[in-house]
Amino acid sequence: MIERRDPLPSPPLSSPIGRVVATEQKPATPHQFHFWTANETSIGIGAIVRVEGLGAGDSGRVVYGVVTDGFAYSDLATPLHDVVGAQGDPAKAAASPTVRQEIRLWTAAVLRQTPEEPLQPVPLGQVHVATDVDVAQALRMDAYLGGAQPTAIPVGLYTSGGLEAPVYVDADFLLGPEAAHLNISGVSGLATKTSAVEFLLSSIFQHFPPHKGRVAAVCFNVKGPDLCFLDRPGTLDDEDRRRYQRLGVAPEPFQQVRYFAPFKADGVNLNTLRTHPDLVGEVEPLVWGLREVLDYAEVLLNRDDIDAKADAFIDFLADRVVDKEFEDGFGGAHRVVTFADLERLFRSIFDGLELASRGGDSWRTHHIATMRKVRNRLANISTRCKGLVTDDGPSNDLPWGRFADRTVYVVDVANVDPLGQDLVFARVVSQLRERLERRDLGVEAVVVFVDELNKYAPADGPETYVKKMLLDISERGRYLGLVLFGAEQFRSQVHRRVVGNAGTAVFGRMDADELATPGYQVLSPATKIKLATLPIGELMVRHPHFTQPIFVRFPRPAVLRGRDGVERYPPAADLPFEDAVARQLLKLDRRVRPNQVKDLIADRREEDVRRALAHTRQTRPQDALAHFKKQLGGRVAAVPAAARESVPPLNAISDEPY
Amino acid sequence: MTLRGSWVEAVVAAGAVPASHVPDASLGRGDVEEFTGADPVEAGELRVEPLSDARPLAPAAVCFLDGIEQWRVVGYGGITPIVRAHVAAAVRQRGPDRRLRTVAEATEDVAITRLDRLPAGVRRALEAAGVRVLEFPAEEAGQPARALAAARVEVQKTRTALERRLGEAGLRALAADEWLVVDGVLSDSAALSEHTRALGVVKSHGAQYFEGAELERALTLPDGHRTSVFRPRARGARRDIYSWYVRLWPWEGNDLLYGLLRLEARAHPETIALASPIAAWMRAERAPVATPDRRWDRLLYPIHDVETYLRARAPSDLTSHPASRIPNPGSRFPRTAS
Ligand SMILES: Nc1ncnc2c1ncn2[C@@H]1O[C@H](COP(=O)(O)OP(=O)(O)OP(=O)(O)O)[C@@H](O)[C@H]1O
Ligand SMILES: [Mg+2]
Repeated sequence: MIERRDPLPSPPLSSPIGRVVATEQKPATPHQFHFWTANETSIGIGAIVRVEGLGAGDSGRVVYGVVTDGFAYSDLATPLHDVVGAQGDPAKAAASPTVRQEIRLWTAAVLRQTPEEPLQPVPLGQVHVATDVDVAQALRMDAYLGGAQPTAIPVGLYTSGGLEAPVYVDADFLLGPEAAHLNISGVSGLATKTSAVEFLLSSIFQHFPPHKGRVAAVCFNVKGPDLCFLDRPGTLDDEDRRRYQRLGVAPEPFQQVRYFAPFKADGVNLNTLRTHPDLVGEVEPLVWGLREVLDYAEVLLNRDDIDAKADAFIDFLADRVVDKEFEDGFGGAHRVVTFADLERLFRSIFDGLELASRGGDSWRTHHIATMRKVRNRLANISTRCKGLVTDDGPSNDLPWGRFADRTVYVVDVANVDPLGQDLVFARVVSQLRERLERRDLGVEAVVVFVDELNKYAPADGPETYVKKMLLDISERGRYLGLVLFGAEQFRSQVHRRVVGNAGTAVFGRMDADELATPGYQVLSPATKIKLATLPIGELMVRHPHFTQPIFVRFPRPAVLRGRDGVERYPPAADLPFEDAVARQLLKLDRRVRPNQVKDLIADRREEDVRRALAHTRQTRPQDALAHFKKQLGGRVAAVPAAARESVPPLNAISDEPY
Repeated sequence: MTLRGSWVEAVVAAGAVPASHVPDASLGRGDVEEFTGADPVEAGELRVEPLSDARPLAPAAVCFLDGIEQWRVVGYGGITPIVRAHVAAAVRQRGPDRRLRTVAEATEDVAITRLDRLPAGVRRALEAAGVRVLEFPAEEAGQPARALAAARVEVQKTRTALERRLGEAGLRALAADEWLVVDGVLSDSAALSEHTRALGVVKSHGAQYFEGAELERALTLPDGHRTSVFRPRARGARRDIYSWYVRLWPWEGNDLLYGLLRLEARAHPETIALASPIAAWMRAERAPVATPDRRWDRLLYPIHDVETYLRARAPSDLTSHPASRIPNPGSRFPRTAS
């Protein structure tokens, strides 16, 4: 009967690392269980484990769980006994000849049970660390990893105790139609929100299932140079490369990126940080005229107040006036195409009212105050967003209808006035929506990345047009293939329905105060601690297939970081007007010689030059200089600079009726 | 191999009336409750020695030996109790990491009854069941209460024997500078009582070795002191041994025996030289305290640990467990005793 045993050798990988224990106080349930491990263990919060039932009726049952909490305690009945034993001297406590019995007890939430039915409490079996295969099972990834049409998109590596397993999300649940949208939150810098989205976009581009068609991304750059170098390779270390390989993603920058940025107020220099001479050529101007603005004029109005009368007047302008032959009722005939044309119409209406009769304060049922208000707002936008909105001249826009597969469209609005940003969002997203509805965008799915989402869809504040629009995509976008990837520091500051509708939620390092808000009540205290101390490059992912949030690591994006980009490609100083014009023409036609251009525009009005340039850009003629010259007209049309002051809103080459 | 305890079903099937009763818990193995006397060894009469200057002995490795017994009346043949007993002992070794690991353990399950008092069928069933059967003396068998007391003695004897066997085996495996600390007396075993590095730690003080002023000195030993070494007078099978008292905690405000240990080591002049270092060592073992055990004032934590280990591994149907509130399958009425 006597047996002699030696101290336990360290267990091989396949042997159990823990045992499920259940007491009346801490029973095992179908959704949660407890297990203990050796004091030295690789298990930690977020670790995935496999439990195998051994007892009668339990054999063959396998349960997967993720560790959500951990406890350590000894057989010490009350802290006072430690004081007694050490006679009040903490130094003595450490020197006691025996170490008390202690336990590492873990709580795990069930990820999956097999068989799934009947759903029963977790068997009191042995606990193993999860392998690659276990992770796939535990997260129900088997459903979309294999089969005829796999839809798996690598998102990161689950890492625990030397074990590493790729984690995939399901494209049908990330990009529609089953579920869609992604929201990522976490503190600035440490949460790696922007980086994570960049990595995930390239993973999507490389793994978007062929049967789902073509996919593109529209990224709004709202912060500095963040997204300005997506086509340039960044620096990766060996560990990053290894992770890329393990995830099956090629560590490459985006192959096709198109940049759009409005002009600065001068109308010729681009309002972006990607202005280094080597790169600026790839930035296309984003320029909108009256028509484009008027369609989204609601954006302008309800930033301050909702005014049905103003709305009605804007509708009237959009429906009856713009681009049509229009009689003002005072004998003037107008064809309003540009802001300048509209301004002329307003003048003739106000002059007409003044002349016609005393006290006449309404025109075609619109009160003069309403008209003045609308005029001010429109004038306002053309001043505040000068580089985006042309007073006149043609517009230049995203390639609606010709979107290309696996292409990123970066719209740089980082330096645009908030009003202008709203306008850009409203118009771009509405266009995407309409085109996707009509199925004539050019791709079947578009990811729209909005950083700093809290600014555009705040939890409180007025119901702005942009907020309503973001809500609309959140709620209906998945059927259309219009997918919102939003990022913000504080999830609690974003509208509930916008974050709530994101099928996939990602969390980087979180702020402790944020974690104390009600939205995080479902997380265990230990998970919260882990989130509050999450190392850079590690994320917590919630996805419809995962019953519990999962921690993953992802490699640095393979693109040049914004900060490094502006160092390697320092933005050029603004060019003088003539040089900027020459540069733009040169871009259209390599034969153009700058001096020729400069001579040509030497004493022309800048508006005229801009208009001619815009026209040339839009027409893309064989001979850019000739076309430009023709648009500019003869030298006789030039008005001396001194005369400009007297007729500011007027336009020299329009066919002014009076 | 039959399932543990399954012999109970066999004897019940053979006609024994099932029962479920745990007699008053054993207080553990103690000294006999009588005056035996002692001879002074270290000094002319029993003296009190301060330990303030003593350097505690601090062996790099120590083995601790303890045992447990659990028993229950599981049936009656007529009025003769049939007792099921489980005894277990273990040696747990403490190394440089200050943690305890089991290096040896032994268990034994026995049935205790008086075979010639059982109905023939029950007796045959018990004999055929493959369990070791111990018998209490015939003269104790007539009265169930006396029979139980006698059964208890058998249980204790079984446990003592098991502990002794394990202790002696443990001695053979002891490394060169390793000590074996035994819960209880050493003098049961020749090997243990002669070994240079075996120490008995006795925490129940039934035996009285002194009278008068000496007894008063022993029982009012102040905290941080030991008595001088003495030699308990040999009784029965006991071997020659040296012994001395040490006080672990101040008794004032508690009781005379509070924190009082009696130590045993081989009868050898070296033991006298080691008396203070060993007593100081025992005082160093006060931490961690062995709470929540009620005897924590004199129960060494490592001994407590061995006991906890054994209880954790004992058959669950013998221990008092919350589930024992549920009537035993054999009982006809719910038990009302706790
Ligand atoms: N996987 C990664 N591993 C290690 N470092 C990374 C990883 N991803 C990003 N980083 C680094 O983390 C830093 C911050 O990243 P990022 O700009 O994406 O954070 P952010 O959460 O978007 O911050 P902000 O709120 O200020 O926009 C960058 O300097 C980047 O190099
Ligand atoms: Mg960012």
